[in-house]
Amino acid sequence: MGRVSDLIRIGPISGFRLRTKLLLLALTTLALPWAGCQYAREMETVLRESEQQSLLAVTTTIAGSLKGKQELLFRDESLPAVSSQNARDITPVVLSGAPLIDGRADEWDTDSRNLVRVTGPGGDSLRLLAATHERWLYLALLVRDDKLVFDASMMRPLDSETIGDRIWLAFDDKRGGQQQLFFSSTGLGPLVARRIETREYGREEAVEESRIEAVWQRSRDGSGYVLEMGIPLSLLGQHIGVLVDDRDRRGTARTSYGTLDASDLRAVGRLIAASPYLSDHLRQFAQPGVELTVASSTGAILTRLDAPALPGDYTRMRGFLPRMYRLFLDGDAIPRGVSQVERQRAAEALTARVAKGKPETALFAGRYENSVIVAAAAPIYSADGKQVFGVIQLAQTADRWLTLRDRALTRLLNLTLFVTLFAVVAAFWFAGRMTLRISRLGAASETALGREGNLSRVLPESEARDELGDLSRSFSSLLGRLDEYTGYLRTLAGKLAHEIRTPLTIIRSSLENLESETTSDNAKVYISRAREGSERLGAILTAMGAATRVEEAIAHSERQSFDLAALVRTAVGAYGSAFPERRFHLEVPDVPVEMYGAPDLIVQLLDKLIDNAVDFSADGATISVVLRAQGSTAALSVANPGPPLPPEAATRLFESLWQSRSESDKRPHFGLGLYIVRLIAEFHGGTAEAANLPDNSGAVFTVHLGR
Amino acid sequence: MKKTIAIVEDERAIRDNYAAAFSREGYAVRGYPNRREAMAAFAARLPDLAVIDISLEDEPEGGFELCRDLRGLSAELPIIFLTARDSELDAVSGLRLGADDFLTKDLSLAHLIARVNALFRRVDALRRPPEEKQVIRRGALTLDSERMSVEWNGQVVLLSLTEFWIVYALTKHPGHVKNRQQLMDAANVVLDDNTITSHIKRIRRKFQVVDEKFDAVHTVYGMGYRWVE
Repeated sequence: MGRVSDLIRIGPISGFRLRTKLLLLALTTLALPWAGCQYAREMETVLRESEQQSLLAVTTTIAGSLKGKQELLFRDESLPAVSSQNARDITPVVLSGAPLIDGRADEWDTDSRNLVRVTGPGGDSLRLLAATHERWLYLALLVRDDKLVFDASMMRPLDSETIGDRIWLAFDDKRGGQQQLFFSSTGLGPLVARRIETREYGREEAVEESRIEAVWQRSRDGSGYVLEMGIPLSLLGQHIGVLVDDRDRRGTARTSYGTLDASDLRAVGRLIAASPYLSDHLRQFAQPGVELTVASSTGAILTRLDAPALPGDYTRMRGFLPRMYRLFLDGDAIPRGVSQVERQRAAEALTARVAKGKPETALFAGRYENSVIVAAAAPIYSADGKQVFGVIQLAQTADRWLTLRDRALTRLLNLTLFVTLFAVVAAFWFAGRMTLRISRLGAASETALGREGNLSRVLPESEARDELGDLSRSFSSLLGRLDEYTGYLRTLAGKLAHEIRTPLTIIRSSLENLESETTSDNAKVYISRAREGSERLGAILTAMGAATRVEEAIAHSERQSFDLAALVRTAVGAYGSAFPERRFHLEVPDVPVEMYGAPDLIVQLLDKLIDNAVDFSADGATISVVLRAQGSTAALSVANPGPPLPPEAATRLFESLWQSRSESDKRPHFGLGLYIVRLIAEFHGGTAEAANLPDNSGAVFTVHLGR
Repeated sequence: MKKTIAIVEDERAIRDNYAAAFSREGYAVRGYPNRREAMAAFAARLPDLAVIDISLEDEPEGGFELCRDLRGLSAELPIIFLTARDSELDAVSGLRLGADDFLTKDLSLAHLIARVNALFRRVDALRRPPEEKQVIRRGALTLDSERMSVEWNGQVVLLSLTEFWIVYALTKHPGHVKNRQQLMDAANVVLDDNTITSHIKRIRRKFQVVDEKFDAVHTVYGMGYRWVE
């Protein structure tokens, strides 16, 4: 509970060091990339929508330019009756290149929507594919036939008794006549179409039609055969159809199936092909990167203008960082990579939707992962605006703006990453500096408090103009006031002694007068007691003023050169007689220890140390005095057996008015003795320190003096 | 005729106590609480001896000024500073102004009277021709115990009464170490270490004024001082 209330009171992060706190704060800059991502996604959506809208606008414009111009869309011959759909209609795909007529179905899209499928008897079937390129119509017939029988009627093709597989091709010619041609399987490879012509006397004759190219091949999987042919469009009229004539055995009934009327071999399915001018018309709308597709209202593609290459390199950026970024960026809005077929299905679905009359946009997944295609489709209306006879669809790869977005974002993210790194480093540096400054200030204020007398008021940071500077300055003034106060305390004893001296003089002189006036013995006893008391009071006053007098003596003392070793030797010799109940052990160098200072003060210092040692040791104890010269300093130490120093004494012992004596002591003490030692040591550019003897059997006071 | 002692002391109780003591010894005593009254009286008639406190009523340094003025009136008049102030600076200033002695109020009345008697004795002695038997000669030193005068190499060294007694005690048995207590007894004073030290220092300096090479007063650290010839 206590911890919780603490947490409430001081905040959750106050448990950390300043540096950690600032570091945590700096880490919040990591939100920048996140915000950047959000912004980028937003931007991307807007960009994509505007792209879709502009594409749609272009699409609608092209659709408008085609409005009512069926002749631009379709070949003249196929103009009428576009509206209704016939299962036998052939809608060729516009190819950008001519297919190789080799009897192989490889390059044909057998899943295409314009495939016409006719089912024959048994498992047989015909799949008819059509395509145009320039002024040619290409047909591919994929026939499933359990038994391929070659036609042997080379010489008598019109003999109805001949067996073998035949393909009939029938179409209107431009003059309105009916052309009927047949391909008889005389073998694999190229073959020639033949037309039945009626000569004089009703004699029918098969005449070769050399304008049609064709190749017959077995299908690769062995399920039947493939006939691929190219027909000049100039031959063709409005209708076209094919028929598979399967005569496997002599004498059996022929099985015929296809898009021709089986009874009279008339072509009933229409050829719905794009006008040759359509491509020219569309080309003027061509833009780099935009694929243009025109389909009939049934969804059959009339023509497709492939996208001219985009200038510049829009491949997406590679590398670790961009991939990481994309992980953040690409949401569910963009479909993943799909196959060409799936994409085509989607395009066809769009066309089908738009054929109902409303322009629409869609997003397709591109060929590669994350590549996106933006598509827009618009219906093409007839002149009266009531009928849709075609759909135009524009598709544009979105890689360009996706790449641009990626690049911008990568730059942004790199930048924010750099900024974050910089902020973290800066925060770390700043925190470190701040901590250093604060701890320096703290250490300085602590030591300033510890030292008395010449308390250093100039703390670090006092020049700084920030809050730390203010803190330092207020510390300084606080310490200054403290200094004044301790100064007052220090001089108080002296001042008090001085003030008390006058009334004491009155008492003493009165007593002395009284003594000489009175003869009564009883009175003399009291008078002598009173004098004793006043003398003790006088001694107390003298002791109280001792520090002041030493300070004064220091101020007026003159330095001279003298032999410290000799001084210590004679002084300790004198202590022997002054304190007969103590033994003195002396260690001084044999050579003179020359020193420049005030010998009187040094003697006084030694007096105080010896007094102290005597006071804290028992009778018969040995006090040892050791002097050692150490380069430019001399160390003088006085050790006595006795009680060890209290723990707090080491630092405070040399302060004014501090003492740790028992109360029973008779002589007046104001804790000034060791303070005087310190004053004298400092006058000689030295220090004074106290420590316990290693085995705690007593204390040792050492004074380092500058020589 | 009774000798007249003037006591200039703002503390009435002390003044009256001193006056009583001096009267008992047969002196005529006149007391003044401040410089103004004292000077007015001195202008009319000089006393035979003056005991002056330094701080007088509203004048913290009034005693010094009084001493200077009094010295102006008479060069021979014995003047004693008796004060609660015991700082080195005050003592130096007082003696420099021509006072014969500088005493603190720690001094007992008996000691004070001894000094006063000594000073009167000196005044009398100065009026008589010098008696040879009172004179001690130690090398360059000539010391007249009656006149309380000291000469070094025939030149007069002006010492205060306390300083004279210290020198007298040291020179009586040259080479003997006199410790603090002995010197205090000789000088009829109670002094602490620092005051003794400053007295010795002052004595040395005064001798050095007449002889730069003076080095007869030796310090024996931890014990005391001795006179070396």
